Amino acid sequence: MSRKPNATTHQMELPPTPLQARGVAATWVTGLALVLCTVMILGLLGMIVIGGGKTFWQRPIDSVQLQSGEQLLGMEYRRESRPGASDRVLYRVGNRDLGQQPFKWVEIDSIDSVLEPADAVLLERQEWGIWLGVPERIYEINESGDIADIAIGSEAVLEVLGEQLKLASTRRAEANALRSGPIADINDRLERLRLSELEAQLRVTGNNRPHHLGWGLWWAVIAALVIAILGAVRIGHPLAKRSLVIISLLAVLVGYTERPWAGRPWTQEQFETHKAEVEEQRTILTTEFRELSNELVALEQDDARFRIEVRDLATGQFAPISRSQMSEPMKISQILRVVQANEIGLGGKAKLYLARWWDFLTDDPREANTEGGVFPVIVGTLLVTIMLTIAVVPLGVLAALYMREYAKQGAMISILRVAINNLAGVPSIVYGVFGLGFFCYGIGGVIDGGTDPSLVLRVGQWWVLVLVIAAMLFFVLALSGREKQGKKSLLIFGLWSGVALLSVIAVFSTPYFEGFFQAKLLDGSPTFGTSGLLWASLTLALLTLPVVIVSAEEAIAAVPASLREGSYGCGASKWQTIQRVVLPGAMPGIMTGAILAMARGAGEVAPLMIVGAVKLAPELPFEDRFPFIFADRSFMHLGFHIFDLGFKSPDSEAARGYVWTTTLLLVTLVVMMNLIAIRIRTKLKARFVSGQF
Amino acid sequence: MTSNTPKPAVRTVQDAVDTNASFETETHSDVADHESVLDISKFSLWYGQARALYDVSMSIPRGKVTALIGPSGCGKSTLLRSVNRLNDLVSIVRTEGEMMLNNRSIYDPSVDVISLRKRVGMVFQKSNPFPMSIFENVIYPLRISGERKKSVLKETCERALRSAAIWDEVKDRLNESALGLSGGQQQRLCIARAVAVEPEVLLMDEPCSALDPIATAKIEELIHDIAGRYTVLIVTHNMQQASRVSDFTAFMYLGRLVEYGTTSQIFQTPKLSETEQYVTGRFG
Repeated sequence: MSRKPNATTHQMELPPTPLQARGVAATWVTGLALVLCTVMILGLLGMIVIGGGKTFWQRPIDSVQLQSGEQLLGMEYRRESRPGASDRVLYRVGNRDLGQQPFKWVEIDSIDSVLEPADAVLLERQEWGIWLGVPERIYEINESGDIADIAIGSEAVLEVLGEQLKLASTRRAEANALRSGPIADINDRLERLRLSELEAQLRVTGNNRPHHLGWGLWWAVIAALVIAILGAVRIGHPLAKRSLVIISLLAVLVGYTERPWAGRPWTQEQFETHKAEVEEQRTILTTEFRELSNELVALEQDDARFRIEVRDLATGQFAPISRSQMSEPMKISQILRVVQANEIGLGGKAKLYLARWWDFLTDDPREANTEGGVFPVIVGTLLVTIMLTIAVVPLGVLAALYMREYAKQGAMISILRVAINNLAGVPSIVYGVFGLGFFCYGIGGVIDGGTDPSLVLRVGQWWVLVLVIAAMLFFVLALSGREKQGKKSLLIFGLWSGVALLSVIAVFSTPYFEGFFQAKLLDGSPTFGTSGLLWASLTLALLTLPVVIVSAEEAIAAVPASLREGSYGCGASKWQTIQRVVLPGAMPGIMTGAILAMARGAGEVAPLMIVGAVKLAPELPFEDRFPFIFADRSFMHLGFHIFDLGFKSPDSEAARGYVWTTTLLLVTLVVMMNLIAIRIRTKLKARFVSGQF
Repeated sequence: MTSNTPKPAVRTVQDAVDTNASFETETHSDVADHESVLDISKFSLWYGQARALYDVSMSIPRGKVTALIGPSGCGKSTLLRSVNRLNDLVSIVRTEGEMMLNNRSIYDPSVDVISLRKRVGMVFQKSNPFPMSIFENVIYPLRISGERKKSVLKETCERALRSAAIWDEVKDRLNESALGLSGGQQQRLCIARAVAVEPEVLLMDEPCSALDPIATAKIEELIHDIAGRYTVLIVTHNMQQASRVSDFTAFMYLGRLVEYGTTSQIFQTPKLSETEQYVTGRFG
């Protein structure tokens, strides 16, 4: 009541909004934070683009006359101003075969004059890096050893050089075809012969085990299988079908561990005959090999007749054929590209620039990775990323499905969720070490050479089995929701997990299984028991698993309950609902997780250093012969390549440009993969809004 | 307007609520004249400790439209969702009592929930078409029962869409996403989906509450049309709607079925004062 007079006398007097309520400062602060972030990100990207972009741009070749009378030919690389001393210029002078540093600092004060001679050329060579000099002579050595000049003087030489280079590259291609074709083939066959010999040796000297199960037990296994098949066909009851699956699994397992097809022990005589056969074949192959090598030598001798003299200005020495034969001028075929840097003009430079990028993307690396291309590196990166995605996405989605759709939402699942979230924070190097121990040495070791005898389960250790089964049952009981037909499904689930567990234990503990690659192990070269593509992919899959599980779980939870109810209301079972409504609905979110996993996997370096990425992988992880993908091989990876170039290169100055280009490439690759994935995600998402399919 | 019909001698609904006891439904005799398809007897339901239904007993006449009305939280939807056992999905739900569909118990342990739900279709408050094409939406119940024959699927799709009075609007864009339809069309599509497998009972949980008046009118017309072929059990907040579309009406209050009779009886000559107050809009 007392308020009434107040209300009537109230004046429309609005006090000004207090400063802190207006939030001007907040606008500025938040805006500044955004600007700072944007500048940093754009700055980083810009630096990478500029640094990577300018590497392949041809700079002029300077002929520098020093006051001391010395003369040098080089390309200006960068300038440095030093407080208290004169500025200096770093010239790339190349010509490493002369025993000099390929980069030279020159003080600006000591320079007399700088010219850009028209006849100075840059040679990109197969070996020893670039050579800068002036071409003087091309000649041919006749069959009789006489020298016949083709061109003398820089102008004449440059005129015929293009054609000569073409001829040389045909000769080189011919030799290469011989090397990678028939010769590589023979080498491969020789290697297989060697392996078969080793295997034969194993069968004679290895632990001569008797028939493992004996025929009686084999009959029992076969009989069980037949009965199960008959039962499943005749009765058709789900239980019969399930038992068929379980018995088939067990039979496969028995077959796998017993390997009845594997070599039975050999007698000495059998071994001798086999050895004789191998020897015979080897003789044939060796003869063939010798013929081919002779052919190759002839080709190379023919090739070596064409020589070129390109003189270094400072020393007057021409580019030698090799470090040990300094008096012999180089072969024309050793040259990959000749650049007359001061004469080609802008158009020529642009063409050269693109050609160099092309080479970078498609060639193998040379000169400790500081020259040539990164083709195997790109292939390795893509392969490992694809394989990790294939491994991690289905696994992560299945786990997320169980957690969200089947498990009882209780304390147990919360603990599990926290644990998974924490896994995402484990340093990647830890995964690397784990991968090496578990995948490479653990599983890989078993695949290679069978179980470690200390792991073989003996009769006295049955309690281990009981403990593991009990733990598993406890886990299942704790996780499974109370369903209406709970007991039966629990029983079947228990049966399934029991079989799965038994399989794992049997594989790891059978005294019979001796591995698939024991022969190779004999001469100390493990196949899967060491780091390689497969294990690297699986390690990265493990590393990215938490990301995938968390995002998949969120996506699954975000599918509206009304859709699920609608599906149940139509009479769909739980699995049908998941399969037809929940999973399609969650797909965009799952894709997001996959994108994150891919991006992280593609950029990861630390664990890869341990489980498979190498400085130089001589062979690509795939070939055009069975089994096409060689998942046991080591591979090259862009991230590791950057690290290696930048910090492990013998010539860090020469590697600098390649660090930039490789970084640019990696960033581009990751961005491209992300773009593709985002496109797919948008397309999927569009289905849930409206419009056409 | 006060009713002179005698009140139950024992006690009022409010008494039952106060003593947390069940209430004996006032059922008009006309209901018994019809053959029933669904018999609910002494059905109770708990969400954990909270009791949501108190000994509900009613029989739903075959081929008629029965409306469930009552204020929010009275258990209409819960009762509806008990008929196709959708409440099973909520792990804390516990039930007691009996529900018989064509004299077979719904809650018998041997009943296959999945085939039950195929015989009892359901349309939800919020239209929930699946993120698929219109065609795939309608034949979803057939797909999940493994029907693969193109001709059967096409035939069913057309028949269901015609029953739901939406065929003419969508026949040229069956392969477009169902999410591109308007709200009313989506709801009719859901009805088409529900009738695609010819259910015996069609449950409708406030099917028009999210629709504009025109779309509502269409759905109501549709309910009228399909009434003879299916038994419809509809939950509604809108008493005009109940009086327009239904043959029978049941009034529920705080988990108890208070009064049940023909629609005209409930709206014009209710026996209980609570019912009268509710249908005349004086409470609820």
